[in-house]
Amino acid sequence: MAALIRIEDVFVAYGTPPRAVLGGLDAGIELEIEEGSFVCLLGQTGCGKSTLLRLVLGSERPLRGRILIDGSEHPQPDRTRGYVPQKYSLFPDKTVLDNITFGPEVSEFGLLGRLTPKFFHRRRELRAEAHEYLRRIGLRESDAGKFPHQLSGGMQQRVAIAQALMTRPRILLMDEAFSALDPGTRRDMQQLVRELWRATATTILFVTHNTDEALRLGTRVVVLAKEDPETGSRVALDLTVPETCTDQEVAALVRRLERVSENLAREEDLERVTSS
Amino acid sequence: MAAGFLLINAKPGRAWSLMLSWFLFAAAIGGYLYVAQARHAENPEDRVTPTVAQMATGMYNAVMQPAEEDEASASDGSFASKLTHSMLWKDTKATSRRFLYSLLLLVPAVILGLHMGLFPFVGEFFLRFVLFFDKIVALSLLPILFIAFGIDELSKIMLIVIGVTPTIILDTFNLTRGVPSEQIVKAFTLGAGDFDVAYRVVLKQIAPRVLNSIRLNLKAVMLFLFAGEMIASTDGLAYRIALLRRHMGMDVIIPYVLWVALLLFLVDFAMRVVNRTLHPWFEEA
Repeated sequence: MAALIRIEDVFVAYGTPPRAVLGGLDAGIELEIEEGSFVCLLGQTGCGKSTLLRLVLGSERPLRGRILIDGSEHPQPDRTRGYVPQKYSLFPDKTVLDNITFGPEVSEFGLLGRLTPKFFHRRRELRAEAHEYLRRIGLRESDAGKFPHQLSGGMQQRVAIAQALMTRPRILLMDEAFSALDPGTRRDMQQLVRELWRATATTILFVTHNTDEALRLGTRVVVLAKEDPETGSRVALDLTVPETCTDQEVAALVRRLERVSENLAREEDLERVTSS
Repeated sequence: MAAGFLLINAKPGRAWSLMLSWFLFAAAIGGYLYVAQARHAENPEDRVTPTVAQMATGMYNAVMQPAEEDEASASDGSFASKLTHSMLWKDTKATSRRFLYSLLLLVPAVILGLHMGLFPFVGEFFLRFVLFFDKIVALSLLPILFIAFGIDELSKIMLIVIGVTPTIILDTFNLTRGVPSEQIVKAFTLGAGDFDVAYRVVLKQIAPRVLNSIRLNLKAVMLFLFAGEMIASTDGLAYRIALLRRHMGMDVIIPYVLWVALLLFLVDFAMRVVNRTLHPWFEEA
């Protein structure tokens, strides 16, 4: 089976003189992501994990190499990939309900299309669907008319996930989506995302710096790390997370992953599970 | 008060803040009345500081007597017709019309600033020129405008456009740039096109800030309008003020100045109310 996302020989450098962030001059980053998997990108600050996400998103282009989504390049962000950033994920001028229905409304109707009766009919359907989502993400009916600034950070991220899922993207990209939340809310959100992932079969690429979070969420954890300060990051470890994991196993894995990410261990110390 | 009333951490009570905030108004009015009274005691013919009674008569004439230029077409005597034939009415109408035209011309400025901020090619094309244009002192262009466009309405409106639009364009440009890139990327991933992003995401978000920026620039609009009217016009509030200066007509000039301030305050207040009603999500007042 062909991979849904294919990252081929990607190299990214910033600044003058260019400093490599991802990949090296000799060999770029290679990564394949299967449809339906939940991949967590893990790494320390500045290792380029968010850059890699933006490359997949299409808001940034690599210096070399290419990114194929289902076999073709997408040089701009579009409907194939949903996006949930850490901050500024909701439109501040729209109510919760309008935020959730914004995607289908904007992609199905142009500026003038909104004046036709068909639009109002469709909007009723979308609103009903949005209310359904509100219930699923655990918001009350009374929250529908609120503006984002009236919600807590956790609630905002819930709405942002619903907003992204409304257009039914094949891929959902989440950039440190829960990093600004307190631990309790964070655990609830992780559970919610796992549930939604199982229910919708969306492929999720989740960037985080939290090893525990990566292991609890993902079916696969990819660790990005720099081998030495001069070169760009490489895939230091590619691990398939066991289906059932006891807390002790998770704790052991966390230690191992953190050692890789901090460059204290070479990859051959660890069982390496490469995807094919 | 124990903490000392000049400290940063001082907390004036309601009575104190009320008293303090109105004190300068009372002092200014009291000071003026005292000076006027003293000058009139010395010279009953004094024209520099008219008394309240004189100003009231002057204003009554301005509101209830037909304007000088208008005497031929006398009114039928009713209150409303007297009012609409009066000096103040005609002046206010002429100035307001120019003012509204100038405000309408700020709309294209906002649209241009938005496009400059969002579309890199549009930005490259206009930005340097607008930055240069912004530094031209608009009043220094006044003679050129009068030569090029004549001394009629067009040159006055052009003066306002040249004086204020660069500020509005650059302000909108900066506000557009200030919208987090996440918002724009998110809109694209939800299926929005370029114009959806421009008008349904970015413009809607910056609208309250743009309105605030226009509110701050109302004064500049008025300034350029008055400069134009004072130098070359046959009607308008500033024309009247300049004309009365020749007769030392302080009894009308002072009420006119206050009237203009009141009008500007009302426009500003109305825009603030509109802003709050249209954008209930906007937090900073």
